[in-house]
Amino acid sequence: MFDRPVSRRRLLTSSALAAGSALAAPLLAACDAGSGGPSGGGKTVTLTVMYKNNELTKEHIADFEARNPGIRIDFIEYDDTRLNAMLASNEPPDLVRGAAVGSASGNAQQLATALDPYLDSSSVLRKEHLLPANDSFRWDGKRIGAGPYYGIVKDWSQDATLWYNRALFAAARIAPLSTTEAISYDELLEIAKKLTKKSGGKTQVYGLGLEWAWNLWAPISTMILQQGGQLYNTDLTETDMTTPQALRALKWYVDFAKAGVGPTSLDPAPDGADLSLFLAKRMAITQDGYWYGGNFVKEPDEIKDNVAMAPAPVMGDKRISPTYAGWGAYIPAKARHKDEAWKLMEYFMAGPPSQERARSGWGIPALQSQLSLMPQELPYQQQAYQTQQNELRYAGQLPDSPYIGAAGAWHPVLDKHLQRAVKNEITVEAAGKAITDEINKLLKQGKDQIG
Amino acid sequence: MAPERARRGRRSWKRYSSRTFYLFVSPWIIGFTLLTALPLGYALLVSLTNFNGRTDRWRWIGLRNYRELFGDADAVASLVRTLAYTAIAVPLMVAGGLGLAVLLNRRLKGVGLFRTIFFLPSVVPVVAMAIMWKLILNRDAGILNALLEKVSIGPIAWLVDPNAFYALIILTLWGLGGGMVIMLAALQGVPAELEEAAAVDGASRWHVLRHITVPMISPAIFFQVVTGVIAALQIIIQPLLLAETNQVGSVAQVPQNTHLFMVQVYQEFFANNRYGYGSAMLWVFFLVILLITVVVQRSSRLWVHYEVDSEADR
Repeated sequence: MFDRPVSRRRLLTSSALAAGSALAAPLLAACDAGSGGPSGGGKTVTLTVMYKNNELTKEHIADFEARNPGIRIDFIEYDDTRLNAMLASNEPPDLVRGAAVGSASGNAQQLATALDPYLDSSSVLRKEHLLPANDSFRWDGKRIGAGPYYGIVKDWSQDATLWYNRALFAAARIAPLSTTEAISYDELLEIAKKLTKKSGGKTQVYGLGLEWAWNLWAPISTMILQQGGQLYNTDLTETDMTTPQALRALKWYVDFAKAGVGPTSLDPAPDGADLSLFLAKRMAITQDGYWYGGNFVKEPDEIKDNVAMAPAPVMGDKRISPTYAGWGAYIPAKARHKDEAWKLMEYFMAGPPSQERARSGWGIPALQSQLSLMPQELPYQQQAYQTQQNELRYAGQLPDSPYIGAAGAWHPVLDKHLQRAVKNEITVEAAGKAITDEINKLLKQGKDQIG
Repeated sequence: MAPERARRGRRSWKRYSSRTFYLFVSPWIIGFTLLTALPLGYALLVSLTNFNGRTDRWRWIGLRNYRELFGDADAVASLVRTLAYTAIAVPLMVAGGLGLAVLLNRRLKGVGLFRTIFFLPSVVPVVAMAIMWKLILNRDAGILNALLEKVSIGPIAWLVDPNAFYALIILTLWGLGGGMVIMLAALQGVPAELEEAAAVDGASRWHVLRHITVPMISPAIFFQVVTGVIAALQIIIQPLLLAETNQVGSVAQVPQNTHLFMVQVYQEFFANNRYGYGSAMLWVFFLVILLITVVVQRSSRLWVHYEVDSEADR
């Protein structure tokens, strides 16, 4: 076959054909990828699912397919950019990973399917069993927390709670934190100062890690709510970060950063997270939700025996302890196989994967009925369980405007202006004003977009 | 008859020649059309809308994005920062590459090994390189601060403001081995007799380099400057990777000093979901790059020397 001499002309023609085929093949394949066939009719339905493969695992998929012979899952690893492209081209996945907090924007743009008809007829996922984190997935056209559910939370945490190392507290002669009563943010900062140890310009032990330094929006919103303030006006089109409540919250963060008692964006932790410092006993307190306890199960006894969980701190009179994310799933409004997607939703949120998650301690289950599955074998798990049960009474929703992405849009603005305040380039009041102006500009653009 | 046949032959050769030309360049033309021209046109259309990248709820808004851009202090500041970065990084890259090439363009023992060592960093993937430098530059656990501590300096927080800019320059310079190879190839094309003649006439090494070698390799230097300027203006991965964050690609933690124009564009696209505005930023940036390239191109008449006379070549 190859012994015939190839002329230059033939070579060029063949090359062009080969190049054309190479280009056409993926295009044709892409066209084919979307054709799963309609629901029903005894055919196998291909469900396109975009999730994270360490959450919806290969084993889960195989188990689900075995239980549902007519459904095959085409798994796509979660990717924001690809999801946007799929949504914009009206070829969305049938089930997508999404956070409850911040879902107002997508819900207002009618990107998700209202799940109430499914919830009303489901025997395993029922509205009355859903824990409060799911309320952030609700949208009635004007506000969150009311109206239809547009998604279901996989698991969640009240992310402002504290984890601390009792041995470091004992060494600094500080009494352990209450397991039920919330400490004030001002007291917390004072304790953090006592726990911080510095030497030769380096920090040996950080008193307090605000894990949420990569999401300033949620904790500052929480602080405002705890003082009885509001983040947005009634129609969610404007913010005012110059109110006394907002300024107090901003000032607390600036004081915290200036005190140098914990990593900030101006003085970050080496790997950008608190865990390695906390496990190395170089951080006394870290502000993280119940999920954080999952990190300690395999740690040596000196960690397991000394960690403890404490309630979320308060700034003001109202004790509110919300979730900052509440990851779960939704079914896009233009999904092609909604009924089959709901079957997967039921399996993943109420079936064996949800029970596994509840037992693992990596988060609070989204269903009331699964709370008893949370781990209580180890002493620290028992303590965390008790504290968490009490904390549930204070669960609330963070404000969510449909006109702005929550943490994604807020955080860069907050961080930019607060950095300047920490560096004494501007006052906290000036930072509040600059944040207000910039966020209101984004809100106006969002309003213009959605109408 | 014979002239007619010759004319036909010439025409047929001409046809064959042009057909072959287009066939040969067609892969590039197809690639350029599909992967560059069409996206450029698409981005231009998107820049005239308020498209948010997710829904079909968009509308034409004319030049509003462009008008907003010129009053956007953050975008303008990031553009100025990018120009400053380019003005510092490109001369250092070119001069560094040339310096290394001159040093390694000698008949020394083990010169091949040194060439390999200096070239190696430029083949290391940028992600690995950024992570390595993040570890080296870490304030508490980095080797650089450990060394500086020996001479009672520091500790210096390299990865945050105001030092983040220097960290970015260091990371950029780490890859100058690629430029060095091009300079080395150019240096080896410089006729030895020219340099020898100058040396015989009493020129010092510096004079030989300045008046013989550099003019002779100026086309290679020009190439380095043009590609370097374009690459420096478009830099985005390095600032994102150097940022102190546990969230890959999180734009929020990029320090202000390394918040360059493309980082700002990334923020508009993926944090604020403003695809229309982001596209307008890209189009303006495209024109800025085009303008700078034209200026560099024009300036080349003053300092780039070609051995081939382009007029005589026609």
